[in-house]
Amino acid sequence: MPAIGTKDALTEFRENLRAAPKRILETAFRTGLPTTDRSRSTFVFGNVFLHLHSVRTHRWSLRWLTTAGLGIATLAAFLITLVTGVLLMFYYKPYPEVAYQSIKDIHFVVPTGRFIRNLHRWAANVMVVTVILHMARVFYTAAYRRPREYNWLIGIALLVVTLALSFTGYLLPWDQLAYWAITIGANIAQSPREVTDALGITEWFDPGGLQRLLLLGSDTVGEEALIRFYLLHVMLLPLVLAALLAVHFWRVRKDGGLARPDDADDILARERREETYPVFTEQPQKTYHLAAIVRGRTPAVGRGPENTVPSMPHLFYAEFGVLMLTVAVCLLLSLLWDAPLKELANPNVPENPAKAPWYFLGLQEMVSFSAFMGGIGVPTIVLIGLGLIPYLDREAEGTGRWFGGPGGWPLVRLSLLFGFAAALGVEAFAIRFGWLREWFPNIHQLAITVFNPGTVLTALYAAFSIWAMKRHNSTRAGALALFTCFLCGFTVLTVIGTYFRGPNWEFFWSPADWPGH
Amino acid sequence: MKKNKYLLLLSSLVTLVLLAAAAIEENFFREWRRIQRSARSDSGIAALQLRQIVNPSLKVADRCVSCHLGMAPGESLVRGADVLRPHKPVVHDPSEFGCTICHGGQGQATFKEDAHGQVEFWPEPMLPREMSWAGCGSCHVALGVPSQTTLRRAELAFERLDCYACHRVDSRGGTIRPDRGGMEGPDLSFTGLRGWDGAWHEKHAKKAASEGGAWRKSFSPVSEEDQRLLEVFLRTRVGASSLVRAKSVFLSAGCLGCHRVNGVGGDDGPELNAAGLKDPGRLIFAGVPGGRQVSAWMAEHLRSPVSVVAGSLMPPVLLPEEDIRQLTFFTMSLRARELPDRYLPRDRVRAVRFGEREFSTDGETLYGAFCAGCHGSDGMGRRLPGLISFPSVAHPDFLAIAPEELMQRTIEEGRPGRRMPGWLKPEGLRPEEIRTVVAHLRRLGGVAPEPDPRPRRWVSSDVELGRRLFESYCRGCHGPEGRGGEGPALNNKVLLAGATDTYLVETIRRGRRGTAMGGFAEPTPVRPALSQAEIEAIVSFLRSLEGGSS
Repeated sequence: MPAIGTKDALTEFRENLRAAPKRILETAFRTGLPTTDRSRSTFVFGNVFLHLHSVRTHRWSLRWLTTAGLGIATLAAFLITLVTGVLLMFYYKPYPEVAYQSIKDIHFVVPTGRFIRNLHRWAANVMVVTVILHMARVFYTAAYRRPREYNWLIGIALLVVTLALSFTGYLLPWDQLAYWAITIGANIAQSPREVTDALGITEWFDPGGLQRLLLLGSDTVGEEALIRFYLLHVMLLPLVLAALLAVHFWRVRKDGGLARPDDADDILARERREETYPVFTEQPQKTYHLAAIVRGRTPAVGRGPENTVPSMPHLFYAEFGVLMLTVAVCLLLSLLWDAPLKELANPNVPENPAKAPWYFLGLQEMVSFSAFMGGIGVPTIVLIGLGLIPYLDREAEGTGRWFGGPGGWPLVRLSLLFGFAAALGVEAFAIRFGWLREWFPNIHQLAITVFNPGTVLTALYAAFSIWAMKRHNSTRAGALALFTCFLCGFTVLTVIGTYFRGPNWEFFWSPADWPGH
Repeated sequence: MKKNKYLLLLSSLVTLVLLAAAAIEENFFREWRRIQRSARSDSGIAALQLRQIVNPSLKVADRCVSCHLGMAPGESLVRGADVLRPHKPVVHDPSEFGCTICHGGQGQATFKEDAHGQVEFWPEPMLPREMSWAGCGSCHVALGVPSQTTLRRAELAFERLDCYACHRVDSRGGTIRPDRGGMEGPDLSFTGLRGWDGAWHEKHAKKAASEGGAWRKSFSPVSEEDQRLLEVFLRTRVGASSLVRAKSVFLSAGCLGCHRVNGVGGDDGPELNAAGLKDPGRLIFAGVPGGRQVSAWMAEHLRSPVSVVAGSLMPPVLLPEEDIRQLTFFTMSLRARELPDRYLPRDRVRAVRFGEREFSTDGETLYGAFCAGCHGSDGMGRRLPGLISFPSVAHPDFLAIAPEELMQRTIEEGRPGRRMPGWLKPEGLRPEEIRTVVAHLRRLGGVAPEPDPRPRRWVSSDVELGRRLFESYCRGCHGPEGRGGEGPALNNKVLLAGATDTYLVETIRRGRRGTAMGGFAEPTPVRPALSQAEIEAIVSFLRSLEGGSS
């Protein structure tokens, strides 16, 4: 048979086959194996997943104290819930009773099912904790300031979605814990009725009832609520979260990487340097004509490349280190403690006390004083307040520094003292002496809605923050005081709700003192 | 910058170690794996795997057989540790019914503590071994159970007449006759369910006459009374004699007077249909000696209800410890489940759908089941701390003058305002049953009513005089206007409607011995005797109350 080309086609086929693995690698990396700083940089730049990072990272960002890795830890926890969640979906059946049986099956029979469910549960809790800590870190290092204001808003949205994800997941096991926690949650959603009832207009205008109906899909927690929560939990909310995450990360890069103080380079120079890296001396191959049309600041323009290191591998070590650490912590927790599963949900046997998930127990504590204020009023005020922080604090002092800004750590310390004292004081008063309803049984409900321990505490915090703002003549000082107080209040109310509230939401020093029921 | 590198290395290593630990725990240290590895069998053990018995219509998915390998369907002759033993022969095939239907526990679980239900948040722990038979109550209802004494006498009769010589009952007795290919007599363990030959006595006698030999020597005619007892014995053989015995104790302690079971009984206490399914997680074990066992709680609750359930109105059950044990056992058997029709046993259908009685309807049993709790098993009344004393309804002084109609009516309609409820209702007693109870009371007291030739109402006297006398002599106990106090209320409509004038006059005249009510025909140091006219005046006054308040 005559040869068509210069080479025998069969030979060529054989050679191509032999070369295929090498070529797959080449085409995957395009720039060849990333072995030098430069090829690594092009690799990061050209990779769809990695290009969210800038090619080079400032050494300030790699210090453990800068972020404590909390953002990455939150992402890691989310990834764990994502993977374990998809695995759980293979066995979970969202229908009352059947759901409970399927969780039992996952626990007892599905290979590694118990472990994976534990992991899912623990990672979800870790995520709630780290997302709050991450927010605190960003706040205390004043990293929300210009040009990062919008990313702070995205962060608040992510906090809300995280809590919503955790809350919707709470119902799925369909046990007593889940059933009554969601019942409480749905009642909190219905709390605007307290005001409409007091005004006598519920009949015509009932946003509370509508909210609850939208949440549950029926009057009580039942199959409609379960399928609704399931859909939200496995589909809608994760998609929203993923979209917000993409924006959040993209903005981190577009807003100039992590915030750092102006004198970051000096501080780094003063610190002991373990090793030196060659600075970026060669003429960069990348041109800036693309970057030039991007509005605002871009990371590398107008700034020396000193004190930056290639993101690969230095940033990746840090990121994967935190990721693996989070995985390890979740694994350890899952090995030590099983995710809770109580008896099958029974609408006829209310749990007493019925408690919402732990991160809502602060709210539930306030709801016990006034449903509307605790469930809707104060949380709305808090969310709006948090969102406005970067737009009200337009100062520059202390950006990128822990407790930076006027007042600094002494003010935070004072705020901690005040925040705890005020929360404990108001709680102690309400627990010891009761509140308006006990003294004036016929008082109008609106009076309690406006004036209750929750609003009193909010007012005290606001007053303290205004005092701090005046004292230091700085909005940042006011924000420092208010945010610290908010954390204190959240902690105190959550701890009291979790550990010191028993049947009928009465105060008990220990569950051992609970009366029999 | 090296710090981050080491962080990654270290956290990855920790992750690897933890994953390995989880894998090893999962694959090597599961108890059921260890147990299955230790099993030996001639035919070779099937694969090391989880096993389960599934029956969707009973909502059963029992993995118990993963450890109790000898009880797994298809696994036979497994040797090794105790846990691997096969199940004792039972009527219900475990491969169809599973394990938890009878034994309780958590069938889905594959760890011992969880499976036996001895964990938090599992509402139905396994029944303790000595109460295994209580599991029958999940589906079955024993019917026509007589009082404790009758059942005991029936069992003794079966024993005394030496029926065990030929018949096997609940794995006891019987003679194997190899030449006849089996037992001499049929197994009688289930006669209560499957019935028996009504002409057994004639057939036995005929056989004894024709066969001769051992038959003639061992069988002699049985008296009418003994025949009746043997019928009771046969009727109560349902394969669970210990449970039937426990039920007979329940039916003799008067529990149905306050509690309802399967729709029959009083309203004063809670319904007991699922009393055996109490969730230990919802019980307070502070006042209970012994472990966190529902049965221990139940026993203590019977001995002293108030010390276990604060504010309980139930009087303590003053019975010997053995009877407390039996009552606990029976209460644990009250665990009725929802069942698909296919699995609904005949006895439960008969009891729940056709209203067949769970108790024998003789007077003694009816009285024991419904009345003995308050009036005492001897009918002599009871005085319980904190409660108004319950009258002695079998008192000879009462029976001698009580008209039949009064007794009948009191039971039917009760005494409004007192603890005595009316029993003529669907969930109570039927008319003929009430008549049986009255007859039983007469038998208890051993006194027939004295003939009373007078009409029901014959007294006609001075009401005002009666009022004055009542104020002086009766009000102290019976309260102003006869509204009751330490003594019973006399303005009670049901009482006045049922009581004849003779009954009232004679009760005042003779009194009731053994109670605070003395006879007024005789004087005492603190009051003079009342004349017949004065007594009639009091009765007239009482009659005047009839139209008034209840």
